Amino acid sequence: MHGHDLQWCISSKEWSRRDALTLGGVGLATLSLRSVACHAALGGPLDPELSIGEALVEMIDGELVYAWAFGDPRRGPSVPGPVLEAFAGQELQVTVTNTLSTPHAFAVLGTPIATKPIAPGATETLTFRAPPAGTYLYVDPLSAPVNRLMGLHGAMVVLPEERAGTPYSAPTPAVARLFGDLGTTEHFPGEPWQSDRSRVWLFGSVDLRLPDSISRGATFDMNEFLPGYFTINGLSGAFASHDPETIPKGRLGEPHLVRILNAGMAAHSPHFHANHVYVLARNNVVQENVVLVDSFTVGPTERVDVLLPFMRPPDVAGDPQTPLRDLVKHELGMRLGTPQRPLAYPMHCHMEMSQTAAGGNYPQGLVTHWEITGDLDGVDFPESELESQSTGGDRHDHSSH
Amino acid sequence: MTIPVISRMPMPTEESAAFFKHVCPPTFAGDNPDPVEPTVRIARDLVVDFALALPEGDSVPMWIIEDPEDARLGRQFPSKLIRLREGDVVHAKVGAKKNTHTIHWHGIEPTPMNDGVGKHSFEVGASFVYQFCARQAGTYFYHCHKNTPLHFEMGLYGLLIVDPPEGQGVVTRLAPEQGHREHYDVEAFWVPDEIDRRWHELGHEAFMQKCDEADPVRRDDFSHGGILNDFRPDVFLVTGVPAARRDPKIVDPRVAVSAHAGQTILLRVLNAGYTVQRFTLDLDAEVIAMDGRPLGVPPYGVYSSPFTLPARTPFQLTSAMRWELLLKPTVPGTYPAQVEYFHWVTGKRLATVRTQIKVL
Repeated sequence: MHGHDLQWCISSKEWSRRDALTLGGVGLATLSLRSVACHAALGGPLDPELSIGEALVEMIDGELVYAWAFGDPRRGPSVPGPVLEAFAGQELQVTVTNTLSTPHAFAVLGTPIATKPIAPGATETLTFRAPPAGTYLYVDPLSAPVNRLMGLHGAMVVLPEERAGTPYSAPTPAVARLFGDLGTTEHFPGEPWQSDRSRVWLFGSVDLRLPDSISRGATFDMNEFLPGYFTINGLSGAFASHDPETIPKGRLGEPHLVRILNAGMAAHSPHFHANHVYVLARNNVVQENVVLVDSFTVGPTERVDVLLPFMRPPDVAGDPQTPLRDLVKHELGMRLGTPQRPLAYPMHCHMEMSQTAAGGNYPQGLVTHWEITGDLDGVDFPESELESQSTGGDRHDHSSH
Repeated sequence: MTIPVISRMPMPTEESAAFFKHVCPPTFAGDNPDPVEPTVRIARDLVVDFALALPEGDSVPMWIIEDPEDARLGRQFPSKLIRLREGDVVHAKVGAKKNTHTIHWHGIEPTPMNDGVGKHSFEVGASFVYQFCARQAGTYFYHCHKNTPLHFEMGLYGLLIVDPPEGQGVVTRLAPEQGHREHYDVEAFWVPDEIDRRWHELGHEAFMQKCDEADPVRRDDFSHGGILNDFRPDVFLVTGVPAARRDPKIVDPRVAVSAHAGQTILLRVLNAGYTVQRFTLDLDAEVIAMDGRPLGVPPYGVYSSPFTLPARTPFQLTSAMRWELLLKPTVPGTYPAQVEYFHWVTGKRLATVRTQIKVL
């Protein structure tokens, strides 16, 4: 059945060739490639191939960093690697080719799925059945955590084998009740969860000194590891905050699932503004006690699934029965640099060092947005005439202080 | 040899203004755009300088958020607690005395202009009246959200407690037969934080990107050489009380708890730092709420349940997480408690600070 095929979820818009970059006199063909989550049947190859190879990854400030990357052999590398999607129990055959000069491997953390070390130039084929539905991190497990931190990591999303109202093969009673209540109870007006309202957020981080040592053949003391760049799906700051594949966007009452994976070394503390989120699963353990929190821990290699309910932000002052478009119509009509419509809020890690790039440049680190585009009754916030510009005085130039 | 380059995405031209606002928010001042008659008015100014005295005799420069009415009464760190009742409509007049700032009411969920995040609204110029309705009793906090790694570390935060309508002394918790309320006798606040003194010599705008409206992500506009990714604390504190380096035990009554046997203690815990904090108490504790959401309480809490942490069972919080615990000691004695601070990347234990719960 076609819908049950493992899908390569690489958005075509990322495939444009860019102008060649010239670096140190060496002309480099610039292939912009980034893997993203997808939830439509793209009809990719049945038995995916992954290559392991080199790449230079550009950080948000332009710094080019040597990396090892998974990729599609025809399309080139990406960090993180392509999102692999499968259905629980589905038989898969993954072919991995190592183009590097050192041994590498492929493994899905938390499962027995792993290749043997793959010699330079060799190819290994791994046949396995997809594990229970959930969010998995695939990595090169060798020299852990070095090869993972060099860029060899990606997300594998496993969907329930049967059409289910939850993202899991065997939801706990609490998770089943929560998903059953969405769109059917007074406290969750709106719609049930739809599986295409899902996002994958893979957290990564880069310490320039590690790839620098590796590329020179030197050793690096992992006790010294201190990342200077922080990414979601390979993007930082403003880029991650305006990436349509990353940001959840919808009207009130359109709950979204967010699958968070931490491929880095830091303990992160993601914080959602404007809605608390339900913690559904942690490292593929579907939770018995589904807590509603605004900040939570995602440690190194951990995976945490949360439900962003897209509730009306509860603490907006005024009558909760009045549609937001009427209650806060002046704010929705304002322009403060940009229009205040739709209602946009951040999700960022509260271990605030992760909000930096190159030691500063706040907030160009691990941050993204989510956006509320309309009310519960299906009406989008109106395209009214925008009120005048801010009145507060001068634009602030950081360089002048 | 050609190595493929994974380039930074090009900035979509239609997003240029949004990319600019991301790093250089506009300033704004004045009234709330959609005002509702308030039941409570509060005021806060920032920033105010504060010297935090250390047990060793030296001090660390801090920044605090101040209630302007308290300017003569003595300054405090953490910034003065805000205490509200469920249902309060709050007007909070925030003045930026130096530079521009914001206040984010962490866990409170209003519109973006009232949420205090510059890149989604503005930074406060002279002053602005934030507005929100505190609809759910619980433990929250407030902090500046500009150049946040630095401004939060410098001390620009305070607790924000929303009591149930009955007021202080009652907490919302799963208890259907009592209308989901429980009385408590003693309330305590454990708010561990850490200080990297190198950061406390920096300026408000340290290591920020240059504002460049024409190209907001111009590579040359990024700062270099910053240290805001490199947190090396050497002062460890709880609720504003620094622990002595030689004997890191805090008996200050702002932290150490004292109660009578048979009394109920409500302990509100917030990680206001940048380490992974692990708490261990020598008493059984019941976890009744997280992040201002009571466990088990309908309608939104019914997918969860309160749970008991047996004595000496550690629990771990990362930055901004809040737990509410109920303790009901019956046997007099002095029960030790501790918080261990672990580096966020290396996982190394940086310090262990001890305190106590004294049961009379």
